[in-house]
Amino acid sequence: MLRPFELSEPTSVAEASELLARHGDAARIYAGGTELILAMKEGLVHYEHLVNVKTIPGLAGVRLDAGTLRLGAATSHRALERDPLVRQHFPAVARMEADVANVRVREVGTLGGNLCFAEPHADPGTLLQVFDATARIEKKGSARTIPLEGLFVGPFETCLEGDELLTEIVVPPLPSRSAAAYLKFGFLERPSVGVAVAVTLDDGHVADARIAVGCVGPVPRRMREAEAELRGKPRTETGAALATAGRIAGRAADAITDLHGSAEYKEHLVGVLLRRAWDQALAAIDGSPRR
Amino acid sequence: MAADRLTVVGRAVPRLDARDKVTGAARYVSDLALPGLTHAKVWRSPVPRARIIETLTERAAAAPGVLAVCAAADLPVKRLYFGPAYRDQPILAHEVIRYAGEPVVAVVADTERHAQAALALVDVRYEELPAATSAEQALAANASLIHPEIERAGHFRDLSGLRPIPGTNVCQHYAYQRGDLAHALEDADLVVEGVYRYPALSHHALEPHCVVARVDGDGLTVWATTQHPFPVRRELADVFDLPLAAVQVVVPLIGGAFGGKCYTKTEPLAAALAARVRRPVRLALSMEENARTITRHAVSVVIKTAVTRDGTLLARECDVVLDTGAYADIGPRVATKAGYRAPGPYRIPTLRIDAKCVYTNNVPAGAYRGYGVPQVTWAGESQMDVIAERLGLDPLALRLKNLLKRGEEYVAGDTPIDGDLAEGLEQTARAVGWTAPLARGRGRGLACAMKDGGGTHSTSTAIVRINADGSVDVLAGSVEAGQGIRTALAQITAETLGVPFASVVVAAPDTSVTPYDWGTSASRSTTIMGLAVQEAARDAREQVLILAATLLDAEASMLTIRDGAIAHGDRAMTVAEVISGHYGLVGGEVTGVGSFVPGKSAGSLGGATVFWESGMGAAEVDVDRETGAIELLKYISAADVGQAINPRECAAQDEGAAMQGIGPALFEARVNDAGQLVNPGLIDYRVPAFTDLPPTLETVLIENADGPGPFGAKGVGESGTFCVAPAIGSALTQATGVRLTELPMTPERVWRALRDAERGSLPPTLK
Amino acid sequence: MKEIAMTVIVNGDKHDLTVPPHETLIECLRDRLGLLGVKKSCDVQVCGTCTVLLDDRPVSACTVLAFEARGRSVRTIEGLARGDDLHPVQEAFVEHGALQCGFCTPGMIMATVALINENPRPTADEVKHYMRGNICRCTGYKRILEAILDASRRMSGASAGNGR
Repeated sequence: MLRPFELSEPTSVAEASELLARHGDAARIYAGGTELILAMKEGLVHYEHLVNVKTIPGLAGVRLDAGTLRLGAATSHRALERDPLVRQHFPAVARMEADVANVRVREVGTLGGNLCFAEPHADPGTLLQVFDATARIEKKGSARTIPLEGLFVGPFETCLEGDELLTEIVVPPLPSRSAAAYLKFGFLERPSVGVAVAVTLDDGHVADARIAVGCVGPVPRRMREAEAELRGKPRTETGAALATAGRIAGRAADAITDLHGSAEYKEHLVGVLLRRAWDQALAAIDGSPRR
Repeated sequence: MAADRLTVVGRAVPRLDARDKVTGAARYVSDLALPGLTHAKVWRSPVPRARIIETLTERAAAAPGVLAVCAAADLPVKRLYFGPAYRDQPILAHEVIRYAGEPVVAVVADTERHAQAALALVDVRYEELPAATSAEQALAANASLIHPEIERAGHFRDLSGLRPIPGTNVCQHYAYQRGDLAHALEDADLVVEGVYRYPALSHHALEPHCVVARVDGDGLTVWATTQHPFPVRRELADVFDLPLAAVQVVVPLIGGAFGGKCYTKTEPLAAALAARVRRPVRLALSMEENARTITRHAVSVVIKTAVTRDGTLLARECDVVLDTGAYADIGPRVATKAGYRAPGPYRIPTLRIDAKCVYTNNVPAGAYRGYGVPQVTWAGESQMDVIAERLGLDPLALRLKNLLKRGEEYVAGDTPIDGDLAEGLEQTARAVGWTAPLARGRGRGLACAMKDGGGTHSTSTAIVRINADGSVDVLAGSVEAGQGIRTALAQITAETLGVPFASVVVAAPDTSVTPYDWGTSASRSTTIMGLAVQEAARDAREQVLILAATLLDAEASMLTIRDGAIAHGDRAMTVAEVISGHYGLVGGEVTGVGSFVPGKSAGSLGGATVFWESGMGAAEVDVDRETGAIELLKYISAADVGQAINPRECAAQDEGAAMQGIGPALFEARVNDAGQLVNPGLIDYRVPAFTDLPPTLETVLIENADGPGPFGAKGVGESGTFCVAPAIGSALTQATGVRLTELPMTPERVWRALRDAERGSLPPTLK
Repeated sequence: MKEIAMTVIVNGDKHDLTVPPHETLIECLRDRLGLLGVKKSCDVQVCGTCTVLLDDRPVSACTVLAFEARGRSVRTIEGLARGDDLHPVQEAFVEHGALQCGFCTPGMIMATVALINENPRPTADEVKHYMRGNICRCTGYKRILEAILDASRRMSGASAGNGR
């Protein structure tokens, strides 16, 4: 059962930041609560003070700004799953969001909440990194933008300072002749392995390859050494490179053995999902009209 | 009565409780509120074994809203220990802790929140001791005794012959032999041996255990999520040294059970706390606490089978070890049954069975749907397919050759086989398309199993009351846990009496009102309570006909009740008119009583099997070789129900049982790390979900009206769990060549086996 | 600790309540408003037994805080039938035998109502995906799937403007 706490409902980012600064470790941002309230009910954490960010106008919403997707941190997974702009221009993101947890968590849980809770077994943080997404972080009086990858410091730990909030996730479009794909695997409630790719083709060659792995290690991250194996290769000759990239990414993912499986198996799955996500992305490029 | 003349039995009438359940009007124990209700929370041991040094409760007792904080010594009970086989389980841990999760201290407060807050202030000092957290560890030569002394409970006749092995952690040893093993092994053309493992499971019925207890006057009333109101009444009477008549156990609807709510669990604690604070107490467990209260037995089976070249079974040896956890619960009976059922539904002249029920410092294990059959069938049926492979025989043909026939004995002295097992297996094989071409990479498997159904030495009594307006009350102690028993009993009553189904109401079990019933388990209620209800209905019918005979000036033997009325020549009277006519007022009633009393036999279990509950299963799978994931495409389940009282509910039970078998076959298992349950809740314990429903899930009901129950009925509900794992396991083997011997067949385990096979390592079972 | 005054419409009835921030929606619905059809089970948002509709959206009442319903409308299983007339989803569940112990049933039905409201003629795969978060331990899901597909057929065959 939840222990009592105070609730503040700021109507601006500055006010929210001030509240966080004032209460320090005793305060926490509260958006959908699907992770936070759960952890508090289980007695794993307790905050005397919750700062509701849903009362801050403009923190939720989807905008397409010259091809770049701007996502308010307090946008729900369900809104992303169903948004026409996301579905049309960033279909891999919409598909990933449609598979987060279950429909009730998606209705209430927010993208920002998911990213900031930094539960390792999660989906959005992995896929968004292959878009070179950035995170806008604000506090009273200032703002900064960082690559999304930099948000994640460790399990349940982000780089946010005590008085900072994540306000927006900015997702640039992929170049033309590109597609992204995200595949996950697991047999428990939360995913065990998640692999995201973004592929750009240019005249039959791999112009760019971006790979991110999540759920396996402490944080989701880009696998740049693996990406290098694929860049420049003719698209018809990526078989061996994908296998190598899979091995590199699997090892780099820092897998641990737990309920989800052994480290060895997870590493293996990284390679399998990488190859399948790659094929899916190529099929999406081939299937879409040439731009 | 011939099946084609049945008017309500055999029909898929809507469930009596369906409307309440779909409108939210259904009330479960967890919905109950009483004036002055208080709330209890439990402090549980974080370690699997320890010596309790002291319990510090003063801070908690001083917390807001707290009425009492109790350790074992503070409970106002005459007897601290309870249990259906041995009285080995203390209501709260006493001097020693035997498993992680064991209740040690209980807090009672005016609100749940206050109780929860006070719980955090309880402190228990203990000295941790080395624990035996597997059956292997507990059986080791130098293992310390988890129960140096145990006292038999004496509650159940079939448990009067308990055979623990003194000086060990074996609390029940079942052994059976027949034939000449040495000769059989010599005569065999092939002997196959294997070791198979089945994991501990959590029942995870969606309604966790909940008890509301109230002490009034000299008596005790308990509303409990229990499948066994009368055994619980007996335990409570012993615990408080009260006469049975002063203890009342009431069971409204319960939200699922699957065996997890069998026998006594948290009722004594709630009652003791109610006695202590002199106010009603509600003790509602969370799902995680539930998993720390009761589990399914993890079982290992060493099984060896001797056959001739043409597939005739000569001998089977089964060594079965069950991890019963820190307290025996009904483990001794599960172990006995597991051993008894281990050979499978086959004609096998020579048998050596040895089953051991072993104490460990794990969560107590007890009844779980299937009662040992899924575990031993995983072993026995997997091995049948190993034999088929080695001999180059069709797995279906091998089984048909050896399946017992109707009238044959399974064990000398026990009830002969009462069904056509071969028919069931053949129908199952046809339904899965056993001989149809198989797409590349896919596999099929099938399996069959049976249990002695109906419980052993059980009795039920029922009352049927025909009211003055013709409506009927059925008083039966069978618990409605979802299986549809109330509806079935109403159908039996309506059919027997000759009154409309809509006029029958079935009461909730209440030990002060509904007559004695042994319990709602072992697939016994349709058959045994059904017979009691049928006899009670016949008794009431005969009384009505005698009254009618007088009023209609006819011979009673010439009269029948049809659709609530009795006709004679050109005269007719309703049942209501007969009763009112007799009493001379719109009042009075006709009361019928019926009972089922157990038979006797010389079988090795000492009691006659009521009916054989047989189950067949066939699976078709595809396998993702890269990830190891098994995709279940088709699952066919067959259940011999004798006569379906309600065909839809029979099929629904069998489908649900099959899904409950799919879980442990593919992904469901408790994870125990040195006595710590790593996955108590649903985030890390995977139960079957909507997405696990295969494209084809079909149930075949076998109905030959050859059961002992009303209208030829047998019990149903458990057999669907028996065959799922071995059918899928053999389908995996056909698809990929690998065979797993430990459940669940997770993607990783399949992947490892495939990889080992590729690298040339020996597959696990070939010897 | 500051409590929150709120107005909420539950099953069409307006309620003025004052709730502490830490009260969950299920505590509010069951303990304050007596709506015992909302069941508590896993308490961790996995099983869906506590599913209620918040402005027609399915949510876990066990984890959503009560004050989040302020100014909004909540629909529980008790709000579905109209007097003696069952909602088509309720009827379909009864006819198809899509319930046994019934503990998951209120949440299962509310999730179904939300699904059909959003997707009037879902395919079997769409049903399985949407309903993945509603656990049933009794039925094996087959009859629930049949009931949902049947209910959606009947409801889309009904004339426009029924607005259920």
